[in-house]
Amino acid sequence: MNLITEKILRKRKIFFGSLTAFFIIIQLIWIFTPVMFAVLWSLVDPDHPWSYPDAFPKVLSLAQWKYVFDYTNILRALATSYSVAPLAALLAFVLALPTSYVLGRKEFRGKSIISNLILLPIILPGMVVALFLSRVFTVFGLAQTYAGLVIGHCLMGIPFMIRILSTSFASIPQDVIDAAENLGAGVWQKIRYVFIPMVLPGLFAGTIFTFITSLEEFNLTFIIGTPTFETVPTILYSFLGYHFIRTNAAVVSLILMVPNIIMLLLAERLMKTDYLSASLGKM
Amino acid sequence: MFRKPVSEKMSNFLFLIPGAGFIFIFLSFAFILTILQSFGLFSLIGESRFTFKYWKIIFEQEFIDSFLFSLKIGIGSAFGTLLFSYPIALFLRKKGFGKKTLGSLIKIPLFIPALVVAFLIVNLISFHGLLNTVLVALGVIKEPLRLLNDQFGWGVLFIQVWKNIPFQLLIISSSLAVIRDDLEDAAMNLGANKFQVIFRIIIPLSIPGILVAVILVFIMTFGDFAITKIAGPVYPNSMSVRMLTEAMIFQEWNRAAVMGVIIMSTALIFVAFYSKIAKVIQENKL
Repeated sequence: MNLITEKILRKRKIFFGSLTAFFIIIQLIWIFTPVMFAVLWSLVDPDHPWSYPDAFPKVLSLAQWKYVFDYTNILRALATSYSVAPLAALLAFVLALPTSYVLGRKEFRGKSIISNLILLPIILPGMVVALFLSRVFTVFGLAQTYAGLVIGHCLMGIPFMIRILSTSFASIPQDVIDAAENLGAGVWQKIRYVFIPMVLPGLFAGTIFTFITSLEEFNLTFIIGTPTFETVPTILYSFLGYHFIRTNAAVVSLILMVPNIIMLLLAERLMKTDYLSASLGKM
Repeated sequence: MFRKPVSEKMSNFLFLIPGAGFIFIFLSFAFILTILQSFGLFSLIGESRFTFKYWKIIFEQEFIDSFLFSLKIGIGSAFGTLLFSYPIALFLRKKGFGKKTLGSLIKIPLFIPALVVAFLIVNLISFHGLLNTVLVALGVIKEPLRLLNDQFGWGVLFIQVWKNIPFQLLIISSSLAVIRDDLEDAAMNLGANKFQVIFRIIIPLSIPGILVAVILVFIMTFGDFAITKIAGPVYPNSMSVRMLTEAMIFQEWNRAAVMGVIIMSTALIFVAFYSKIAKVIQENKL
């Protein structure tokens, strides 16, 4: 009897294992074919166009990359993108910290309403928010300014920051805090030895999410930033929406995509908790 | 329980101001301004006078076409994505060899910006793209299919599904994770087979998660701008594309505001619908 069930179980394991392997292959094709095509398009040599029915480009070169860096505003856009993103993340952190503490550790009426309201910037239709936020920004004199860009990007990223930080605050066991208090820890010592070490991974995750949200932000930047400021996404849009220039779009796509993926893989590796589910799962 | 001292309530409130207040102030200003402008008030440029005339836009054929197109894309993407994400979530529910790797692979599109996703998929489905080339070579179709900027919006749907599978998967997985194994074991002990367990226990218990996943994807795709602009048909435009054209090109901000109010309220109606259903489910369950 035991032997038979064991046999069945083993068979089952092999079946599910091979099914998983099969799905992994499908998934690899599903994800990496599009990415590979972007890489190929970015390497097409201008003198040897890649056209139907060639399956692959005849000659590969870095000419498209050189062209994008020489003749478009990509360097300035990169500077804007990568200077707005850390500022937006920092601002989001400063603003989110007290709110996340209260949401994570206190019970009060209307808590669930507030934690849902916080998600509005990422749930609401982005273009509508962007368009009419731009009117509000105009009234406040923030449209077409660098500060406006930082505030706008912060607004789009802060929901992740608050959600993730409050999850980390909530996960600190009360015992630890009580123990620290019993041992005579003051407010600063509690912060230094209990809160900071326990919240640090969440802070790291929240910062990465806000940073990436800012790097990707298109709608708001397009409305309140153009034409004064260009970021990498708005440059990409100019190659996709106005004039479809496939080779340039391929180069800019890779510039936009690769750092994001590396950062997120790094973040996932460094952190044990699944912060992505923590921030989005329980909506 | 004793009543909380006033000072704690006060400090909670003060602590909420920087984060929640920041979001609330900007969004509510944007909301109020949109609603006021849709009735001709606070126009910032031109005359400001209370009027319903901008709301007549909803009787224009172009508007109706855009609305129906966006609705079609929204509903199509939400359920089209579910078709993939739910079975995957079921498959990944139990731990197994290699499933962690599979899970992280599936998540990758979540980390790719929407514009890049649009570009990646455009390469595949364009007239002489990989998909058409392969299908023609295999003899499935004679002529390449027009999938990009096509009248129906297949290109947009394809991009939205590719992009949103991991997002829905995340939400559905966390709603499946809270279903306790005891229930499943009990049903199995009482003689239920695998399919009965899935259809009688797991699916009913995960309906709230499914609803959230479907509604969030609907809202995002209904109000989408960039992907429709890149891969959508020349006519009709999506609601957001039309709204932006009105505002930025024709400077008809009041008309744009009407469209903004309609996009927002459609989103909110679906959310309200969700909370109603979720409530009914919760009351009937226990």
